[in-house]
Amino acid sequence: MKAVTIDDNSASAVANWYSMKSRLKSLRGGALLAAAALTGIGAAGLGFAAAEYDATEAWWKPGDARLMPASADYADALGRVRVLNAAGSLQTKDHAFFTALGSNGRACVTCHQPSNGMGLSVDTVRKRWQDTAGKDPLFAAIDGSNCPNLPQQERTSHSLLLDRGLFRVFLPWPPRAGDGSAVEPEFTIEVVRDPTGCNTDPIYGLNSKSPTISVFRRPRPVANLKYLLELPHGVPPSDFLFYNDKSLLPRNPETGGFASLQLMSDGRDLTPRIQARDAASNHLQAHAALNPKQLSQIESFEIQVYSAQSFDKVGRELTGADSPPGLGPEALEKGAPARLGNNPINRIFGSFAMWQSAPAGSDGGDADRARREFRESVARGSDIFYVRRFIINDVGRYNDKGLGNPFKRSCGSGCHNTLLMGMDLAPGYMDLGLNNLPWASARPDLPLFKVVCNSKSAPQSYLGRIIYTHDPARALITGKCADVGASMTQQSRSLAARAPYFMNGSAANLRELVDFYDRRFNIGYSESEKVDLVNFLSVL
Amino acid sequence: MIRGFFVCGLYGLAVLASAAEPAPGTAISFLACPIARDTGPDTDLCFFAEHDGTRYALVNPPDWGVPQLKHRVLVEGRVKEGASSCGAVGIEGRASVMAEIDNSCDVLLPFDDVIKGVAGGVFNNGTPQQRALAQDLARRAALDPRLSIEPAIAEAPPVPPPVPPFERRTQTLLYPFDSDRASGPDMVKLKELATFAQVAKARIVTVAGYRATSHLSDGNDLIERPGMAEIRAKKIAAILAALGVNAAHTQVSWEDRAILGSGNDDWRNRKAEVIVEP
Repeated sequence: MKAVTIDDNSASAVANWYSMKSRLKSLRGGALLAAAALTGIGAAGLGFAAAEYDATEAWWKPGDARLMPASADYADALGRVRVLNAAGSLQTKDHAFFTALGSNGRACVTCHQPSNGMGLSVDTVRKRWQDTAGKDPLFAAIDGSNCPNLPQQERTSHSLLLDRGLFRVFLPWPPRAGDGSAVEPEFTIEVVRDPTGCNTDPIYGLNSKSPTISVFRRPRPVANLKYLLELPHGVPPSDFLFYNDKSLLPRNPETGGFASLQLMSDGRDLTPRIQARDAASNHLQAHAALNPKQLSQIESFEIQVYSAQSFDKVGRELTGADSPPGLGPEALEKGAPARLGNNPINRIFGSFAMWQSAPAGSDGGDADRARREFRESVARGSDIFYVRRFIINDVGRYNDKGLGNPFKRSCGSGCHNTLLMGMDLAPGYMDLGLNNLPWASARPDLPLFKVVCNSKSAPQSYLGRIIYTHDPARALITGKCADVGASMTQQSRSLAARAPYFMNGSAANLRELVDFYDRRFNIGYSESEKVDLVNFLSVL
Repeated sequence: MIRGFFVCGLYGLAVLASAAEPAPGTAISFLACPIARDTGPDTDLCFFAEHDGTRYALVNPPDWGVPQLKHRVLVEGRVKEGASSCGAVGIEGRASVMAEIDNSCDVLLPFDDVIKGVAGGVFNNGTPQQRALAQDLARRAALDPRLSIEPAIAEAPPVPPPVPPFERRTQTLLYPFDSDRASGPDMVKLKELATFAQVAKARIVTVAGYRATSHLSDGNDLIERPGMAEIRAKKIAAILAALGVNAAHTQVSWEDRAILGSGNDDWRNRKAEVIVEP
């Protein structure tokens, strides 16, 4: 596949930019796509000439024989995302990451698409449903439907995937440790509401022969993994003592070394190899274990692939001499992993000062003015992200890990502190309020559980011993009451390519993401601050 | 010395209080709701607690002791001589966040433009070498923003390996009330002790856990839950083993009878002791 180029108009994006400014509303909250559709722009809404961009190529099917370039740009909703293979181009034919390894026809690439920054956007899911009438292996009954027992030909049976980009994650109850031994949980769990039917199903549910809990989560992008796998630098007391409770981080069973917990939202699979085995068995329905060559291929590919936004339809090129140094995947490839960036030099994603007063371009027309104003907005957004403090309160496994409740920090100096990546380096899983009531957004589409912790256990610090949750998250692995609802913060790169956001897809777009934080922490962002923040996040 | 009058804006009623400030060295031990205070737009919050009409600053405790609203805090220590902080009397001691939720602990005082915090950060944390490197990078990045993605926090210099002659070393780790979560500084020392035990080929490593009673200023006693001594000892022993200390040479014990409190520095009794005999 050749590297994608973009034509020079982006006229609708520029028009939308001015429309957004006049209304002080972020079209990065979805209206951009709607407007693009109205103006007759192609399926991806990008203004690409057909010869340059073949929509059928956007989907990487298992078994495709392609050359994956060392660097390629792929269209996304707001511009382009770039995927960089640090080890150079590779042929996908017979490569384990790109080959169906199980019985349902899926490969790793099915849910980790290059055109989605190695993640998977719900727009891509919907298009795939449309293009294949729901027959693509992506919609496999095992986890691409709300429950395997539902009629698979009906859209409603796949509503969580089609509406929110959510896959079913099914975990044993009580939990089992990595070595298969039983974990004695500190709580009981009861199904309060079961819209998918899976948790009360006699075969798949909590009271089945193999008691299982089904929760629904977004796939995380397989890119920039060196930042997730390296042990944290500069987080006291040391790189392998877990900040939260001063216990040791877990060991990688294959190497014996300490392992970070950053890879998965619940920290259950510690390394790409372990995750590959887990995914092959559960998501790909492989009946045989992956062989060493397959595991090595998958691991080698995953740890060298980088992804970040490279072009914005209004802001134009995001990399190069006049762009902030932290943008684009090249910066990620070269960057030092697992470092704290919450300081006045690093400001998490580096300086955006060069865009604070962006120079006028050559033509002085609308597009040029829009680019300048957009870049200035991004620079203001970076300031808000890094500087604007707010009261962070009642976040389980965060305020109670020694920071104090409340804690007053900005997005960047608080939870999103990792240089160039923006996840919590601690490593930090926390109950931001995505899963647990009362903070979680209204989600009648998700199961609701009642967790009752025993009196001997430490309570969840701000919700106590009776917790209503859509997803107990980390607690489904550790069995600890204090972990209920807590999940790992995740990287903030390639966001424009992989909506929706949060582990349960509750934010359909970046504006909803910002609105969630604003509401959860009563920040009081102004409308223009929200626009600036959204624009900033959209270029990462 | 008489404390000045003050007004507590968020209590609903203006509360005027005055009390004789306890003399330096006075022992205190009480349970109270912490009160958070906003110290300005560019700084973290600070906390204090009130007891018998005096406000005590809960500032810069070891990391586990930072107070939390929605939880009471056990304050144990001695009045410190010198300047107050957070608008309250300074103390040397410990603050323990109590595990159970207390929703009555919910007071956050707004910024009053009088009590102002000081922003921390890369330029005043870390070793002198780390700070100097950060200053240097700041100067260079001001001229060349491309450098702003270079790590500003340099690696801490490695601890020099222990050298002979090897002599007996001990460490006492202190804990919050009813908790097995040691402080960061204590765990850094424990890591060094584990290295020492290996390099010195320790003959015996002894780990002993304790639990304790806190005698409060109001005459009541707070007793840690049974089992805490064992939990503390076993956790430390497991960490030492995982760091390479020979488990076969490690003796683990615990004293589950709670050490009695006197109201004087009872926090020192919530502990685990480690002895390394080369």
